[in-house]
Amino acid sequence: MRFGALAAWQGWLFIATAVVAAIAVFRIKVRPARFDVPSMAIWRKVLDEPRARSWWDRIRRAVSLALTALIALVLALAAVRPTPGAAGADDGRILLVLDTSWSMSARTSGGATRWQKAVAEARAVAAAAAGQELLLATTADGLVEGPTTDAALIDTTLSRLAPGGTEALAWPRVDDVRATHFFTDGAVPRSLDPGVIVHSVFEPAPNVAVTGFVARPSTSTTAASEAFLEVANFAPAAQQVRIRVVRGTAIVTERDVQIGAGDAWRQVLTLDQTGGPRLGVHVSAPRNAVDVDDDAVAWLAAAEPIAVTVVSDAPEPLERLLRQDANVHSTFVRPAAYRPGEADVLVFDRWVPVERPARPMLCIAPPPVAWLGRAGAEESAPKWVASTDHPVLDGVDPFSLEIARVRSYQSPALSAVALSARGTPIVSVLDSAESRAVVLGFGIADSNIAATPAFPVLMGNALEWLAHPASGEPRTPGPIALSPSVTRITGPDGASLPLVHAGDRVLANLIAPGLYSIDAAGSRRVVGVNVGQPEIANVMRTSLPAAGTPLSVRLSARPWWAYAALAALALLAIEWITWQRRITV
Amino acid sequence: MWRFDDRFLTKLEYLRVVSRRAFAGRDRADRLSRKRGRGLEFADYRAYAHGDDIRHIDWKAYKRLNRLLLRLFDEEQDLAIYLFVDASASMADHGKFDQARRIAAALCYIGLVHLDRITILPFGSRLLPETVPGRGRARIVPVFTALDRLKPHGGTDLVQSFRQFAARARQRGLAVVISDFLDPAGFEAGLRMLASTRHDVCAVHVVSERDGQVDAAGNVRVVDVETNESRSVEITPGLAAAYARAWQEHAADVEAFCRRYRIAYVRATAEEPFEDVMLRTFREGGLVA
Repeated sequence: MRFGALAAWQGWLFIATAVVAAIAVFRIKVRPARFDVPSMAIWRKVLDEPRARSWWDRIRRAVSLALTALIALVLALAAVRPTPGAAGADDGRILLVLDTSWSMSARTSGGATRWQKAVAEARAVAAAAAGQELLLATTADGLVEGPTTDAALIDTTLSRLAPGGTEALAWPRVDDVRATHFFTDGAVPRSLDPGVIVHSVFEPAPNVAVTGFVARPSTSTTAASEAFLEVANFAPAAQQVRIRVVRGTAIVTERDVQIGAGDAWRQVLTLDQTGGPRLGVHVSAPRNAVDVDDDAVAWLAAAEPIAVTVVSDAPEPLERLLRQDANVHSTFVRPAAYRPGEADVLVFDRWVPVERPARPMLCIAPPPVAWLGRAGAEESAPKWVASTDHPVLDGVDPFSLEIARVRSYQSPALSAVALSARGTPIVSVLDSAESRAVVLGFGIADSNIAATPAFPVLMGNALEWLAHPASGEPRTPGPIALSPSVTRITGPDGASLPLVHAGDRVLANLIAPGLYSIDAAGSRRVVGVNVGQPEIANVMRTSLPAAGTPLSVRLSARPWWAYAALAALALLAIEWITWQRRITV
Repeated sequence: MWRFDDRFLTKLEYLRVVSRRAFAGRDRADRLSRKRGRGLEFADYRAYAHGDDIRHIDWKAYKRLNRLLLRLFDEEQDLAIYLFVDASASMADHGKFDQARRIAAALCYIGLVHLDRITILPFGSRLLPETVPGRGRARIVPVFTALDRLKPHGGTDLVQSFRQFAARARQRGLAVVISDFLDPAGFEAGLRMLASTRHDVCAVHVVSERDGQVDAAGNVRVVDVETNESRSVEITPGLAAAYARAWQEHAADVEAFCRRYRIAYVRATAEEPFEDVMLRTFREGGLVA
């Protein structure tokens, strides 16, 4: 006999102690309460009367004692969770790995999901391996439980797990593993070690999913924005799919479309300036195995123009440029009239305030100031020769630029993203939790930038990067690496996600699909995280070689000690009720 | 607590204690006795004998029959009433002792009103000092005081108590035993002894509705309040029911025993309003009229 959490002798000792203790407590002679009666003669007559002590009265004390001992025994068994088999046999660790990709949530023909089947199969394997050290891992989180010989612990952890969609960077590695069991549907191809025992829960299931949903500013002059939508039908036959797109609470479109087997329906939706930035799409179809990919969200950043305050004595070039951008709401003030405000981005042209502003800022040829760093050497006619792949410089053509002079700033917080041939920073960025800034080492008047194609691109990139700290849409659930200026990520449920600072990056795990708000030093970006991907949504196929043999496992399988615990509770209830009614002792 | 108001006393004055037998009294009163004398109630004739009071010769009969016949009258005398009040510890519970004292006081008052000779005899394991209030309603106050002083304690020994009573020569009369008849040795011998003293015996069985109930559950130590005898008992619904049955049997036994020995029996419940006990229960039982 093996015991879940104890050695064999400990288990037996626990059981024996519990039973003996229960019997001892039962037999403790509690001093009875005094009950004064007017005449013992009548009582003696009653007590001596044979009828007063029926057969039940004669045995009920023994029955109560047996019931008490039985309750103690069953409770002790439920606590130590014995399993048949000799302790020490087949020693070795067994690793159970569950595939937590979204495809595991697909419903099968029996009504249960692949995940439920996988969990049931894992429970069966754990029960069969009772007494051996078990480890439980998922493809998303790696090792989540163990090593332990307590099958109940594994069982409890299995109950807690759910498909999460994210994928761990590496396969869980554990020393001294005798056998690795992998419970998967094979939707996501993986390279497995030869010794891994694959338990397939794959069963073809028709599914409809939103496989693409992106919102972006429109390139046409008639619409403010547009959204690209792709809906795929991963079913063996064509079916009618209802598609509903909403913007905020208003329905943009709702229609039924016939999508052929394996086909996708794509459409670009034009969106006007009015309406909120939140976009959502929901699809429904008769044969649809996975729910999580039926919804997708997107954030229309263009619906919220960037509020820019330009502080300059000569704002004409900037004014001409920014007035043409519908996504920018610009305000122009003289340096003398500058007051700290709530603009999304501040643009300081050849002037900066003494105190560091709390908002993101673009500093064009700023004068030396303490919070920006010491003024370095000034280089005349610098040649822009080196650029990083920073988003600020994305698409900027430096070759048409002619810069008369550039000034460098000596500050460890500033990172140069564009350098001259002599190493003088031409464009620098400040990206910290306290402040975000783009610093141009040259003035607009000190170059021909206002007349080059690089000007709108550089300004647009800078304003976009400053106003919206993160990029990379569309996103799928999983880990995300962000700049160190990110201070908070708010999930779809309104809760803040834990952030991990790793070097110069901030890491977070976007688990659930939905809209996430990313805040960084006064700027904010909302990103949509969607599940729909063809490789996951297509639950008709599998990468497993021996597919098509669904598992026949009992989904309600539970260890017997759980029934023992229930029996103990039932016995306790019976004992309590009968004791209250003076049926038992 | 158990004293009576004037209204109730007035009601009591209309009652009289009934004895099923006539006893010769000691003093004149308003109760017919076996003695022929100078009463108002004509009883019989007999032949005149020398020395008879010639005022009682029926001269009309002499004229008709030419014989001297003497008119005989029932003499109205007092009745000796002995009120035995159980003052044992078993009476203490459930208001039985208070009810017994009230009954004794009420019967005493009725007797005093009718000039009967009352003797109050508290008893427990033996006869306690008796109280003889005298005659006349004004003597009720010392009766109240004497009853008020009584405290229930000790055991019950009917045989010993009645033996002490019988050991002294007493005028025959009505013996009223007010008790719960919970004698550890049994009530039968005591009542049998009292009945053999040629008194007219009446048993007033004072009970409580709660006597037959068991106000406990589980393991208890049952202690006899009179003898301190104890037994550990586990009280179950079955045992409580058996006790209730046994108590009912005891009450029925007392009544049956009294019927068998021609002892008047009245059951007075402690919970019953006292006015009902006196004006209804005792009337129905024939103890008062």
